[in-house]
Amino acid sequence: MNTRAITNLLLVGIGLGILVLFPKISGFHLPGNQKDYSPVQPIAFSHRLHAGELSVPCIYCHYGAERSRHAGVPSFSVCMNCHRFVTATFGAVRAEDELAQKEKRDPRRVVSPEILKIYDAMGLDESMKRDPSKPLTPVSWIKVHNLPDFVYFDHRRHVNVGVECQRCHGPVETMERVTQVLDLSMGFCVNCHRDITKNGLNGKSVNASIDCGGCHY
Amino acid sequence: MPGNDRKSLEERDGDPDFLRGPEDEFPEVPATEGGRTGFSRRSFLKAAGFATAGALMGCKPAPLKKAIPYLIPAEEITPGRAYWYASMCGACPAGCGILIKNRDGRPIKLEGNPAHPLARGGLCVVGQAAVLGLYDSQRLKAPVSGGKESSWPAVDEAIRGRLKKIRASRGKVRFLTGTITSPTARRMISSFMASFADGKQVVYDALSASAILDAHEASHGARVLPRYLFDRADCIVSFDADFLGTWISPVEYTAGYTAKRALPALSHHTQIESRLSLTGSNADKRIRVGPSDIGLVLAHLARRLAEDAGSPLSFRTLPPLPIDTGALNEMIERLLSNRGKSLVVSGLNDVDAQRLVNLVNHILGNYGTTLDVKRPSYQKQGNDRDLYALLDDMESGEVAGIFLHGVNPVYDLPDGTRFAAAMKKVGLVVGFAERSDETASLAHHICPEHHFLESWSDAEPVAGILTITQPAIRPLGGTRSLMESISAWMGTPKADYDLLREAWRSSVFTRQTLERSYQAFWDKTVHDGYAMVGATPVGTHPFSSSVMKGVPGPRPAEWTLVLYAKIGLLDGRHAHNPWLQELPDPISKITWDNYVNVSPATAARFGISDGDVLRIAAGSVAVELPAHVQPGQHDAVASIALGYGRKGTDRFANVGPQWLEGRPTVPEGGLVGKNAAPFRGFDGRSIQDWKPGVTVTRTGRRYDLASAQTYHSLSVPERMRGANPEPRPIVQEATLDAFLKNPAAGATRGEDPASLWPEDHKYTGARWGMAIDLSACTGCGACVVACQAENNVPVVGKDEVRRRREMHWIRIDRYYAERGNGDVGVVFQPVMCHQCGNAPCETVCPVLATVHSSEGLNQQVYNRCVGTRYCANNCPYKVRRFNWFDYPHEDKLQNMVLNPDVTIRSRGIMEKCTFCVQRIQEAKAEARRQGRTLMDGDVQPACMQSCPAKAIAFGNANDPESTVSKRKRDPRWYRVLAELNVDPSVGYLRVIRNREEG
Amino acid sequence: MSTGARTYPPAHEPLISGDKTLKQITEDVCAPIERRPTWLWWVGFLASFCALVLGIAAVSYQVATGIGTWGLNRTVGWAFDITNFVFWIGIGHAGTLISAILFLFRQKWRTSINRSAEAMTIFAVMCAGVFPLIHMGRPWLAYWVLPYPNYRGPLWVNFRSPLLWDVFAISTYFTISAVFWFLGLVPDLATLRDRATTKIRKFLFGLFSLGWDGSNRTWMRYETVYLLLAGLATPLVLSVHTIVSFDFATSVIPGWHTTIFPPYFVAGAIFSGFGMVLTLMLVTRKVLRFEDYITIGHIEAMCKIIIATGSIVGLAYGTEFFMAWYSANEYERFVFFNRALGPFAWAYWTMVLCNVITPQLLWFKKIRTNPGIVFVLSLVVNVGMWFERFVIIVTSLHRDYLPSSWADYSPTLVEVSTLVGSFGLFFTCFFLFARFLPMIAMGEIKGVVGYTERTTNVHE
Repeated sequence: MNTRAITNLLLVGIGLGILVLFPKISGFHLPGNQKDYSPVQPIAFSHRLHAGELSVPCIYCHYGAERSRHAGVPSFSVCMNCHRFVTATFGAVRAEDELAQKEKRDPRRVVSPEILKIYDAMGLDESMKRDPSKPLTPVSWIKVHNLPDFVYFDHRRHVNVGVECQRCHGPVETMERVTQVLDLSMGFCVNCHRDITKNGLNGKSVNASIDCGGCHY
Repeated sequence: MPGNDRKSLEERDGDPDFLRGPEDEFPEVPATEGGRTGFSRRSFLKAAGFATAGALMGCKPAPLKKAIPYLIPAEEITPGRAYWYASMCGACPAGCGILIKNRDGRPIKLEGNPAHPLARGGLCVVGQAAVLGLYDSQRLKAPVSGGKESSWPAVDEAIRGRLKKIRASRGKVRFLTGTITSPTARRMISSFMASFADGKQVVYDALSASAILDAHEASHGARVLPRYLFDRADCIVSFDADFLGTWISPVEYTAGYTAKRALPALSHHTQIESRLSLTGSNADKRIRVGPSDIGLVLAHLARRLAEDAGSPLSFRTLPPLPIDTGALNEMIERLLSNRGKSLVVSGLNDVDAQRLVNLVNHILGNYGTTLDVKRPSYQKQGNDRDLYALLDDMESGEVAGIFLHGVNPVYDLPDGTRFAAAMKKVGLVVGFAERSDETASLAHHICPEHHFLESWSDAEPVAGILTITQPAIRPLGGTRSLMESISAWMGTPKADYDLLREAWRSSVFTRQTLERSYQAFWDKTVHDGYAMVGATPVGTHPFSSSVMKGVPGPRPAEWTLVLYAKIGLLDGRHAHNPWLQELPDPISKITWDNYVNVSPATAARFGISDGDVLRIAAGSVAVELPAHVQPGQHDAVASIALGYGRKGTDRFANVGPQWLEGRPTVPEGGLVGKNAAPFRGFDGRSIQDWKPGVTVTRTGRRYDLASAQTYHSLSVPERMRGANPEPRPIVQEATLDAFLKNPAAGATRGEDPASLWPEDHKYTGARWGMAIDLSACTGCGACVVACQAENNVPVVGKDEVRRRREMHWIRIDRYYAERGNGDVGVVFQPVMCHQCGNAPCETVCPVLATVHSSEGLNQQVYNRCVGTRYCANNCPYKVRRFNWFDYPHEDKLQNMVLNPDVTIRSRGIMEKCTFCVQRIQEAKAEARRQGRTLMDGDVQPACMQSCPAKAIAFGNANDPESTVSKRKRDPRWYRVLAELNVDPSVGYLRVIRNREEG
Repeated sequence: MSTGARTYPPAHEPLISGDKTLKQITEDVCAPIERRPTWLWWVGFLASFCALVLGIAAVSYQVATGIGTWGLNRTVGWAFDITNFVFWIGIGHAGTLISAILFLFRQKWRTSINRSAEAMTIFAVMCAGVFPLIHMGRPWLAYWVLPYPNYRGPLWVNFRSPLLWDVFAISTYFTISAVFWFLGLVPDLATLRDRATTKIRKFLFGLFSLGWDGSNRTWMRYETVYLLLAGLATPLVLSVHTIVSFDFATSVIPGWHTTIFPPYFVAGAIFSGFGMVLTLMLVTRKVLRFEDYITIGHIEAMCKIIIATGSIVGLAYGTEFFMAWYSANEYERFVFFNRALGPFAWAYWTMVLCNVITPQLLWFKKIRTNPGIVFVLSLVVNVGMWFERFVIIVTSLHRDYLPSSWADYSPTLVEVSTLVGSFGLFFTCFFLFARFLPMIAMGEIKGVVGYTERTTNVHE
């Protein structure tokens, strides 16, 4: 009876222990595995909005992916293609317009703080002209998906054969802030390569080599 | 293919938005002189380079990786892609066309421009290594005045002021340069000099060909260097001219030479020399005579030919022929039977000898066929007599101002000290040297010039063939090009780019007819890297065999000292380049030193052995250097390489690892090698590179030489011959006659035994293979440095080489074969990883760090290697290289040259030739991107690309039409150690020499 | 009609002399453990400990700086490291042989030496194990040679690589030897427990004697397990060195690529093993006054084994040369010419002298029975066997197929210190063993007391 009490106590204790520790255990990564890495970026750029809602194709900004090993972070000149005109959310602009009509005046220009960072970086003045007095300050983003230096991953080859970006980067179009959802370990690469060689990719048969020399040289 | 991405910087100049962008994008980068937009994109490339370098260079992974995009990108730049710019190699005046590989804003590799009419795609060791020189942090970054760093305005002010005075006093001004092939620069110098009462340009070459020009002045009335067309010569007789190694334009000559050695036709090459040169080692017949007798043999040849021609020479009686008459007769026979298709050259810098050479070529009717004096070469323009005249003027204090460009007389003249003293008598001394060298350090002002990869320039190495040198990076320091400096001092400062454009519009564009618009012509030239234009023939009068007096050369003494140029260091201008210092000499295989070569017989006679320090003395001059016993050298000759003992080479003291028993690469307070220039002499007409009557004494001390090969024969040591008296069938040889009778002559063994195993690993796709034509390979070593540049092969330092730990992925084995009476046969064999089909290394690695690819590559996975070295032990070719220590760059700035496509290997890791797998992958990716299949030639490993002789072929052995497959069907094809059934993917084509048996 | 006792002549030389009572035996064997250490012990221990420290310093320096601190080069990739490895593994062989095989063959005389021989085995294997580890360029990644689940997809270990076989062979060997040794210790530990005076000793010995109560039951189980283990260990004696020899035999390097290696190596191993056992025993019996237990008889027996195995080794040397000549393969032939006449001829002839010629002296009983000479000879054998491995490894590598790659080899200070260090490790362990555990298996030796006279009463 006494012993039973102790046994039960222990069981409960273990149960609780597991409950408490579980998140820690589940979140455990071996060194080098950056799964779930999600750094705060200098500009709160939303892939959900651009790639998801507005469905801008990935390649539009990351044009490097087609012709280079690196997909590349788009230069601000690319952003400016749209943001030369789009300065704030539609809602904000509409609100300003209505307010202006009420107050019988020309609507003021609304610039969202995040987009403003672009203009500042490029040293543009109110009228979107280069203001020589302002310095040019390139923005340094934080790389989310990192591979070791001895791995040579070539975007070009994957994009040109029709691998969709999500396969490695996850559903970026749903992310406010980009997060690494896959562990991008060697096992992940190799299994995918094997699978594709076996079952083909979007219907066509592809030979995805698993030679070491494909990535390590 | 490089070609695809080739852009001229010019093309990008068109885009206004682009011009604006970068100008002010990186304000911290000082604006370029004169606000030239033409340069802005270089600041751009450079910045881009810095931005991505950290992530790409394969150093330790940073905890937080940043990505800094352009604000406004150059429309052509995509990070991670390489771009190629056509330009010209400025490492020597030969003027080979190159393609500069630019990656993320940094030039990281130079390759021969296949379209270029001179080099035809080849590039020599020096050219390959030149890119490292760009990142030499010891190059001057700003002008220097009176030994202190200064600024351009200040220096210009001072110099202009000084020049004003000189003009007023109508003083003598001299512009002493090395050979300058740039017509624009030459024009500017002459107009600059013309602005003085008595101004004159004086040209001299440290490795002088002055006598050749003088001789032609006498014989043809024009002081020109003929263009030698080896690709038209069926019979070549060379009197001590190392034209495959260091003489005038080796890459051009090698290309031509090998073009005439395509079997079954084979030119015949006789070399008469006193020391074993690279050229001599490739000759079909090599005649070993003392330096003084070379001229004598030449004289006999000339006399006999002249008699045949019916215009006997008015020689006083000649001393007897120093070689057996049979050899001479044979030579004459050959020459006469090849009238107009033969070529006689001489490297002797002796006017009489060169006159005889001209006479011989004239009699043989070679002028106009194998020698071109109408469209001559400008690769050597030196005039030794002018130089000495200048020296006298300086000593007499007549010279008021002197400019020194591309020369280092204090170092490389026979009497540099005399020159140094004379410089003190000159009121204004201005140097343009890239560093404060022996001469420049004595100048009042040093106006450092750009590296040739940083500036605009042009060149006309051969009449009618022009090249544009275009910059591939913004100048790393505040240097200034020669043309800009001159224009600044003439009061009309202009950008070299503009100067060039103007000059070309007026003087080059007009010489061509193909292009209508100047812009189109310019763009085409910049893109192609060269332009063929008309050249007004040099006015020459018909050959005059006037005054053929005397026999060149004094009588032989017991010891004659011969000075020669080494393939890597030449006249010493590249002594600061660690790649060249560590390149094994093609013949001696020794690195990091110069030494005294003595023949084995002589060594035996005086009891000299390798490493004994000898004291060589002639009059007041003496030098102490270690001995090296060199087979094939004349017994009365001691030879020493020039170009060593350069100021500042003590920097290499901390190259390589420092540890308990490690020894420094450079002895405490010493330099790399010793300077032998003081032994040179001036005979009143030309600089002599040999000195009779020197004394050689043993000091009793010893000095370790670092050699990359310590056993030199294919036969095992004498007392173990019981094992097998025959030489090992590693390099197979046959004579032309034997080959013509039986194409398989020289084969020692049938092909590999059939395997008992089923063919269960078929190569369904490509199977990469390599075929090396040993008949074509001259052993120059260009592939070695090319590979080093492409694959981030580290420099390990002298002590490590001495311990047989050099890292080169491709080595050139050199074997001697005794031919009796001191003559020696030489064969070269490039050896890299043979990528075996049944690789012994693969089975033994416990962690699968080296495994086979589906395309027959033997892959080495650095990051998996734990370093048991079992694979290296089990490699029959011994081509695997182990990182015994960490081998960082001695000069951190030189990390900029690292190829981002190849992993940097850390300590404790095995590495080896990969067949340039990064290039294979790149080619595949591009092919897929362009939706085409890989074609033969799409993939060119660095070694193959740079080979001036086109000896190496690489490709898919599964494709019956590929060059490799064709060579595999060649009867000369064999594979080394195939009997081990390791199934190597590398094969060789047997050496065929045009010589008689034995 | 009368009764009388008749004594039969002894059937056997006494295995231990000075007819000891069981008590005496216990006293004698426990003496060194229970009395304070002698100055002799201290000297030996400190000396070997210094050697060990030197070795540790050398290895740390090498690991921190790079394999370059060894005299190796691109042609000779192994030298001292693997030589020492094979040498120590070889030493390790005698132990198992004595404890397992001789046990199965009912060689009673083993009882007085098996304990220390086994201990020697374990220490030798420890020394051996160090070298494969430190000879790696990146020893901190040594665990990659173990097959363990990982994130790398298909990447595991290479089961075709002899080095991997080594890993398994040696770890197995070490485990079995250790268990075997410990099991044999149990009864004696119990004895020590019972004699223990201090609490701590009582506790420790008690702990490790696994509650041994000397009952018939325990003895019976003990014997069974011991027999089983002996059976298990026997094949290892052959397998381990066979596999070690595969490191060379499976390669393509002339001089290594030889089918004769497995038997040749095993014989060599036993040869060197007994050499080392003799060396140790002769010292022990003098220092610890075990003359009665380790008798001349023992020494002779071991000498005989040495002659036998030594001759096998000699035969192997000859066979190698013959095969090289018979193969008519120029590379193969050259390697052996080069061994006998090349730059390393001195090493080769040292080997022949030490392993083939000098052991022949042991044919003479006079020499066999003279501990002094035998001691010297045993040392010579050790030296010879070290050189054998050195010759095989270095002379084969330094001049193989392409003459362009021929190179020389000379050791650096670091390498020599590492070798010294390994001896340091070995002897440090052995001295500690001699101090804290019974050198002789009391339990077993008691079983052979009175092995000599068998007296029976006869009635008529």
